[in-house]
Parts: sequence; structure tokens; C-alpha cells
Amino acid sequence: MRIAIDTGGTFTDCVCLVDGKLRVKKIFSSPANPSRAVLEGVRQLGGAENVEVRHGTTVGTNTMLERSGARVAFVTTAGFEDTIAIGRQARARLYDWFAPAPVCLVEKELRFGVPERVSAEGEILREPTDEDLAALVEQVKASGAEAVAISLLFSFANPKTERRVEAALIGLGIPVSVSHRILPEFREYERASTTVVNAYLAPRMRSFLLVLEESISPGNVGSRVDIMQSSGGIVAVRVAAEEPVRTVLSGPAGGVVGACRMAQWAGFDKIIGFDMGGTSTDVFVANATTGAQLTRESTLAGVPIAVPMLDIHTAGAGGGSLARFDAGGMLHVGPESAGADPGPICFGRGERATVTDANFVLGRLDAESFLGGGVELDAERTRRLMNEQKGTLATVEEFAAGMVRVVETQMEKAIRVISVERGHDPRDFTLVAFGGGGPLHACSLAAALRIPRVLVPAMPGALSAVGILLADTVRDFSRTVMLPGAAMESIDGIFGELEKQGAEEFAAEGLSGVAERSVDLRYRGQGFELNVALDAKKPERSIQAFHELHRQRYGFADVARPVEIVNVRVRMIAASEPYEPERQAVVAGDGSSGLTAKRDVWFEGGWRATQLYKREMLRPGDEIVGPAMITEYTAATLVPPGSVAHVDALGNLVIDVRQEIASNEATA
Amino acid sequence: MKAQAVDPVELAIFQSAVHSIAEEMGAALRRTALSPNIKERRDYSCAVFDGRGRAIAMGDHMPVHLGSMPMSVQAAIEAIDFAPGDMAILNDPYAGGTHLPDITMVLPVFVKGENAPAFYVANRAHHADVGGKFAGSMGPATTIDDEGIRIAPTRIVRSGMVDRKVLDWILGSVRTPEERAGDLDAQMGACRVGEQRVLQLVAKYGMEKLAAWGEELLDYSERLVRAELKKMQAGDFDADDWLDDDGVSDEPIRIAVRLKIDPAAEAIDVDFAGSSLQVAGAVNAVRAITLSACFYVLRCLLGEDAPATEGILRPLTLRAPEGSIVNARPPAAVAGGNVETSQRIVDVLMRALAKAVPERVPAASAGTMTNVTIGGVDPRTGEAFAYYETAAGGMGARPGLDGISGVHTHMTNSLNTPVEALEYAYPFRVRRYRYRYGSGGDGKFRGGDGLVREIELLADAEVTLLADRRLFTPYGLKGGEDGAPGKAVVMKVGNDQAIEMAGKCSVPCEKGDVLMIETPGGGGWGYRGMKWP
Repeated sequence: MRIAIDTGGTFTDCVCLVDGKLRVKKIFSSPANPSRAVLEGVRQLGGAENVEVRHGTTVGTNTMLERSGARVAFVTTAGFEDTIAIGRQARARLYDWFAPAPVCLVEKELRFGVPERVSAEGEILREPTDEDLAALVEQVKASGAEAVAISLLFSFANPKTERRVEAALIGLGIPVSVSHRILPEFREYERASTTVVNAYLAPRMRSFLLVLEESISPGNVGSRVDIMQSSGGIVAVRVAAEEPVRTVLSGPAGGVVGACRMAQWAGFDKIIGFDMGGTSTDVFVANATTGAQLTRESTLAGVPIAVPMLDIHTAGAGGGSLARFDAGGMLHVGPESAGADPGPICFGRGERATVTDANFVLGRLDAESFLGGGVELDAERTRRLMNEQKGTLATVEEFAAGMVRVVETQMEKAIRVISVERGHDPRDFTLVAFGGGGPLHACSLAAALRIPRVLVPAMPGALSAVGILLADTVRDFSRTVMLPGAAMESIDGIFGELEKQGAEEFAAEGLSGVAERSVDLRYRGQGFELNVALDAKKPERSIQAFHELHRQRYGFADVARPVEIVNVRVRMIAASEPYEPERQAVVAGDGSSGLTAKRDVWFEGGWRATQLYKREMLRPGDEIVGPAMITEYTAATLVPPGSVAHVDALGNLVIDVRQEIASNEATA
Repeated sequence: MKAQAVDPVELAIFQSAVHSIAEEMGAALRRTALSPNIKERRDYSCAVFDGRGRAIAMGDHMPVHLGSMPMSVQAAIEAIDFAPGDMAILNDPYAGGTHLPDITMVLPVFVKGENAPAFYVANRAHHADVGGKFAGSMGPATTIDDEGIRIAPTRIVRSGMVDRKVLDWILGSVRTPEERAGDLDAQMGACRVGEQRVLQLVAKYGMEKLAAWGEELLDYSERLVRAELKKMQAGDFDADDWLDDDGVSDEPIRIAVRLKIDPAAEAIDVDFAGSSLQVAGAVNAVRAITLSACFYVLRCLLGEDAPATEGILRPLTLRAPEGSIVNARPPAAVAGGNVETSQRIVDVLMRALAKAVPERVPAASAGTMTNVTIGGVDPRTGEAFAYYETAAGGMGARPGLDGISGVHTHMTNSLNTPVEALEYAYPFRVRRYRYRYGSGGDGKFRGGDGLVREIELLADAEVTLLADRRLFTPYGLKGGEDGAPGKAVVMKVGNDQAIEMAGKCSVPCEKGDVLMIETPGGGGWGYRGMKWP
């Protein structure tokens, strides 16, 4: 039996696959002891022998956000101790004289240099003596470091010295992270930063994961524990404990994979994911069949991480974002948030207007169904305080509607960054909405971006857990080679080495997988690379593919220009057990089985009499014409006038969004 | 200034929409440009202007372009009677430009049925070479005629067709015509992206609304600045500072300013009377650069999310004497005005402002971009190479905060080249890249430290430096000490000789020589032991 468990701030979602059917359980999270909720989930789903537990964890993310990781010693080539702090010498905020210093996870006293040097070609120019290394060990020991990150210049070209340094330090008995294993790729700052994050997370993640494994295994013979990586692939718990830097977006990655699977079953290929939470909103672009785009240029909590991660873009606005007017009279929403405490006005403690309050005033929160009716919403207080804060706006409704428009404009901008700015036309996509606020704002956002369709998946509360349950097991290996394009034939041996490493790792976990080869190429002199798949029979075709991809991505290609092979990559994949969801019979209906009430809801320009439906009482084939609101436990879907929602055979809501009338488009 | 006429919600939405147009143009330019300077160092800017050529949105790109882009658009409007499908090009510092490598494209956006453009979109990019006497067009010229091709506002696209004669003339005057052609193409494409997005806005909201919102956005920015000025104390605040020299003579160059702040009128008058006359070396600034520096300083007084529109400049009167270092006339050479003098103008403005609002202004930052060019033949390939990079320094201490170490400040924000990338690409071995400890000025709050970079040359090469802050160090404020001056030394191969390099010079070096560059630290803020807050 396979169980997936996704830990969130409030709830832990548990999903398992029994006889081809998904079973879902929701339990409260246990932030003080994260493994307790996981074990409770396993117990409630009846996990026993041979249970395969897959976990999406927030321990890594929280450690980064709370800055509660280990005291890390950073060991590098002498003369370059500060590179971990200098970074790329640019500032994050152009016009802010009072911006705080950028984050460096390694204090000045914990940066150590080794007298050594390797050349770009991998030649050892200088080696540390045994005395040098003994002195280093003493220094690190005296520093009180709780973990070590080693990243020497050009260690990926020749790891010999880095291995010697590792061998010297391993005796200290604290976790040691080594750059040529974590990320054997060039660009010293990004490689070192990734290695340091790994060391920073190592002690806490190791103890958490090993406790988890130990508490599951004894009671469940033949069981195993796997962890979701930020790349959207599953990895064995022991690998995650060694390389925790690969799990910093474990939770959100499950949501991306889940959204892709749901969209694929519903028959939509190109999707834009839209996950609106309390303080922030995540958006991403994906192909439902082949998965979301990966990036190697992520930043988490101000720190660059260069291992492959799903390309999730975050906007600093969500349901809890606060409204304010500035000195020039403009309305702003966010990035300041009311958070869980004091929370929105309508929950009773907050005193400043949030997006949730605005939605409440506009009739878009159903007090009855909101979190199962467990939260009392205070209408009188909300209107009174919002009236005091509405600035020059005439009415509370105008203030609330204005806040919603401003926050939706920010969401629109975030989606433009990942779609239009990267050469995608939103009109070709389906917007997949989830999270507490996603379904509420999705249709309005889709209209603004001319996205024709919105998909609100069935089981929106368990989307991440479903994604984790169904994800493939994936390991990524890479190495910088920096060779001329003509050497394409000669890198077969390097691929072979990486594949052997992958196959051995998989075999140790009882898995067998397939290897996907790819190369990062660039025109000589460029400072960025494009990744193209390798044609095993005709490797030189990759160069052709590169020219084509370059043309597609950047509008031009130059076949006469020399191409460089920068990195070699192998991705080992063990497919997860196939799953096909059960489709129910579709019977044309009007949703009257789920109609619960009728009341006024504010849509652009005024109040409209609106039908309220309970989602769990709708049936496949139901068609609901807006204005309508479809409520469920954690969210509500707003269907604006003119838009039409259908319930499909899988229980998804598919909404055809009425587009804004775009007349006289072709001007000039 | 009018009272607010548009509602605060529509204003926010419009501001976000036009700003995202500028950002999208920037993304298109970055994606399609050919040269590393545009793609990776991101030395470009994009902006949207109303029908009168007033900037209503600028992308978060290069600060030095802020105040000068509108002058390019104004110059294009004055010189060309635009028709639909036209596009203009220019780089002449004496007709709307700043220095020759910065080429600007301007596209008028026509709405169906209207005779005059309803909007303009424009972008500016720093080209790696625009001809002239020195490769890279940033060399020590003494007249603009030796600095490269000078393009007065010219129609490069007519009725949608590129004017081959104009383009061929430009490409025929530069060293790397193919790369230039690609970059210019990218700039034209980015303008068209902007045009499409503007037209979508017109289709969605209609011209009447957009025109009203545009006016309101300008008024809004103006209100933000006036609200700041209103809070300041009235008075005249004088300051000066110096550039070490112009690379031709040893004469220091003075930049002086008087700020007249009038909180009652919510206005500021900036007068550079007393500044040195323009010089022979290439550090002269045209008026557009001086205006950019003023724009930058005002913009920094506002909140981080305030939009960069021309309304910011309305409360400001700029007086820059003609023929001076801050308003040079032809044929003065100007290549370094953009990178070095622009920083000093900011230093002087902030020094004066610190007298008016002491707790809102940091001490001086490094004040030089430390431009390094190294050229030669790579023995590994037998091909010529040309390396150019700027090096960051220390940030001045802030009231309440130490300055940041090793970071680009004020008018630039370009990235460094990774050591490992550098050694793959050039015959260099980097021996040291560290903070220059102790270089930040001491004080209640310490100035940020500069950087030390040591490069061993693995081939004979010519090393050119354009740097400042050797004699006149980054000032501290309120008793904080000055930052340490910058320094560059060539350690000769085979002996212990260390030859100190002047701030602005070009020297031949041998294989095995080591170039050591130390960048200035930032000034400190407040004397040690000062009570805070």
C-alpha cells in the first residue's frame, strides 16, 4: 500500500491508493513534532506491512524561512573565503538606501581557506599539506560549527583535493556537504551557496527524516519511506537526508505535480497553475503531460539554490494581505499581511482590512460553509472598521471591490512574468486554480489575461498529497565539462559514469529506472545555457536541436557560431505505478441538487442575485451559469455573470470564462 | 498641481499595467539581444511615455537612464514628424543621448483614427562597440568625434520598413556589425512588444480614460515628492566634491551644488553653479546625466513602490551651467560621464541633502565603477580577447545601519563575472577575490568594505583602467570617517616590483604579471560613541 502525506501549516493531508481508488484523510498538523502527524496519518489510513510512505515536508522550507538552520563552517580555496558573502555584487532593491545587507548563512568567523588550487582544465596547481589539513580541522573544531560545507574552486573538474579535505573533516562527527557531489557544476558562488544550504539544513533534516523512518519501519515490516523533492520527483529518505537542499520546495512541488495530473485526466495539456494562500500566491506554467518547467536559478529566503527545482513564481499577496493608502493617494494591497495572528477583521481579532475581509463584504465568503462553519464571521465589525479605512472612496463596497481589483492586478502581473515574458500566449492555456483563494479569483483573472478556461480540480484540499502519491522517483546527476561542440561524441564515457552511479543508487533502493541524457549548450561567449535532450544514436543532432531551441526561445540562431558543451546531465526515472481515476457517468443537469441558497454577491459594478451551490452535492454533467458561487470546505469558486461552469466526469469544475469584449483590437 | 481626480483603485491598476509594459519590453529585449552586455549584465532600460512624450512608466532597469530617457524621446519628437509605422534611433549626447554606446529607439504609438501619437515607447541599450578610436568605445578620447558614431535623431523605420541606408551607415561604422545588427533588431522588436501592449490597453479602456489616468499618474508621483519636500526644513544647502582628474591632466575637477528647499512651495531648486568647466578627458557629463542623478536621488526619497514617472521631476528646477562638467557642450568627450561623473554628481547631491535631512541620507559610497578593460591574444586559441568589467565597492553607512560591503551602488547594478567563468573564457588566473577589510570608514555605523581582486595574466595584455576616488575619498557624515581610497597595482613577474597604476590609464603588461585592484570603501556615519537613536 502506498500512502502520501503532505504537511501544511494547519492540516496534514493523507492520501492512499487502495484497489485503484484514492482515499483521503485530513488531520491536524503537529508543528512542534512534524513526524507525529505523519505517523497518525499512516495509522488512520490503516498502513501496516509493506507500506510505502511518501512525504512532502515543510521542515526544509521552514528552516530556511525561520533562519533556524545549523552553524555552518564554509571551507574554500584560500583567498576566496568571502565569495559566499559577496555573491554577484548587485543589490536587490535599486532605490532603497536603507535596504538590509543580503543574507549570508555563513558568519565571517566560520569561513576557512585551504592553500590549494585546481585549474579550469582540472590540473592540480597547488595541494594542501597534511599539516595544512590538520590545522584546518583544529580551526573548524574550535569554531563550534554544527555542519561543514566544502566548495573549492574547480572541484568539479578534479575532485581529488576536495575529497582529501572531506576525509580530514569527516572525523569531526558533524555533517559534511561537498560541492562536487551536491552540484558538480561551474559558477563558484551558486555551487557554494547550494552546498552551504545543504549543510545548513543537514542536522535538522537528518534527525527528522531518520526519526520518521525509524518510527515507521519497525511496526510495518517491508515498509519504506520516500520524500518529495523540489524538482517534482520522489527520492529515497536516505538520499533526502544526505541532500536536503533538494527538498526545500517539497510541499509546493506536490501541488504542481497534482495540478498537472488532474489537468491531464481532464484533457487539458497547457496549464497555468494558480495557488493563492494567506500571505502569498504561487503561479507556474506547465505542460500537464511532460510536467512543469524546471529552473536552476531559484532563490529561497534570499539565498540562491542551483539544483533543479520546479519553476514556481511567488507574488507577495494573498488573502491576508493588508490595504493601505499612500501619501499620493494610491491604494496598495500587501505585501504586509495580517497573517494568522491577528488575521482578518472578520475573524474577530484583526483591525485592518485584508483581502479576505473585502471578499466577505462583497458576499463572496459563505459564513455557513467557511471551514465547515467552524469560524464565526463578524459582519458588523468588518463593515464598521472597513468604513473607517476606506479613504476617499465613497462606500465600503467600493473600497472592498477596489482591494480585490488591486490584488488581482498583482496576480495578473505575476502570471504575465511567467507566461508572456517567457514567450507563452495565455490564450493557449487553462488556468488551474487551487489553494484557499485561487478558485475565488480565478475567473476574473482569466478574463483579464484572456485565458479561456478555468479548472478547479476535484479534491482541491488534497492536491499536493495526490501529486506526491503519483509522482515518479527521480534522481538528477550532472557535471560541468566545458568542451567544444565537436566533442559531443567523446562525452559518452561521462554519461556512462553518471548512469552507473544512478543505477547503483536505484538498485540499492530496489528500483530499476531509465536514464534520460541531456546536455546544456551555449554559443561560445554566452553566459547562459539551454538544455537539450541527447539523441543517443546521433549525438551531433543535439547541436542542431540547440540552434532550433535558441531560435524558438530567443528569436534567432547562428549555425556558423561555435557551440560549447557546458554541462552533461543524466536524469534517472523510475515510473510510479500507473493510476487511472474512475470516471462517473455524465448526466446533463442544472446543479439544482446542490442549490442551497440565493443571495446578493458583488460583481464588477454592483450587487447581483446569485445562486449558491454546495460542491459535494453537484453531479457530473451539471451546468451552472453565472452569477453563481460554488462552496466547499476550504474554498469557494466564483462564477461571474456570463461564465459557465460544468462538472466533468471526474468531479472537476471546468469553467468557460466569458471574455472581456475586446473590440477594435487592430488599431493603427 | 491638481487635487486628486481619479479614484485610487483605477490609479493603482493603471500604474501596474503600464509598468508591466515596460518590464515586458525589457524581458523581450533581454531574450532577443545578442551581446552579453545586454543579456547578462542587463545594461538597458525600457519606458512608456504619454502623447506629449512624458514618461509614465519605466522598468526597474539602469538608474542612470532614468531621467535621460525622456530627453531622448523629446529630441526625437522635435526632430521627426512621426507617421504610423515609424521608429527613430539616436545616441548623440548633444541631441537627447548620454554617451555614444547607449543607443535609444523610440516608437510612436498611433491609435486608429488619430493623427498624432497617443503614446511613445522607447528603450535604450549599451552596445559593446560603436566605433571610434578605441575598441569598446569607452577609451580615453579627448573629443566626441573620436568616441564613435554619432547618431542624431533619425528615422530608422518608415511605414514598417527598415531604412537600409541608415542601418548600413551605422553598421559600417562599428567594429562588430553582426552583433550590433542583432542587438538593434532586438531593440526594435522590444518597441513593437510595447506598442502591442499599449494598443491592448487602448482597446480595453479607451483613450479618454487612459489619458486621464496618465495625467493622474504624473500628478500622483508629483504629490509623493511634494509630500516629502513639505516635511523638510527650509533653506539653502551647499556641498561639493571632486573627481581626481580627467586622465589627461592632473587637475582635480570640482562639482558643486546648492539645494534650495522650499517646503512651503513644496519645491526644490538644484544649482550646480561653481562646478568646474568641461575638461579635455572623457569624463564630461551632458545635462541628461545630471538630470538622471537628480531623478535618482528624489526617487530614493520615496517608498520602494513609488512609480518612476516624469512627475517626480516637476517640483525640481535644475540649473546646470552650460559648458561645465555637468552640462558639457560639443565637442567634449563624454564616455566616462555616464559611469564615473554620474556617481560623483549623486555623491554631491546626497552630501547637500544630508544637511537638510541628516537622518535620511547615507554617507558616500565607493563613488566609482572601477571600469577594467584587458585586451590581448589568448594563447590557448590564438584569438584576440577583450574583457570588460566593473568592480563594486563599499556602500556608505546609513543612519542606523552599517553600509553593505562589495556591492554596486547608485547609478549601476551590473553583476560580476564568476571566477570560474572568467578562467574558462580568458587567459587569466584569479588569485584573490575578497572583501578589502578595514576599507570602510569607521563610525557609529561603519561604511561597507570595498573588494580586492587579483588577476594573474597568462598572456601579454594591455590593461586599461577608468576609475576614481584615489585622492578624494568617499566622505563620512556626522563624524564618521571617510572610506579608504581605491588603488591598483601591477606586480611584475620575476621581481618584487609593484607598479602603482593611475586611476585613468592604459598600461602594457606581460604574461605572469599580477593586476591587483582594491576598490574604495564607503564612508562611515556618526562618530564612534555617538548616541543612537
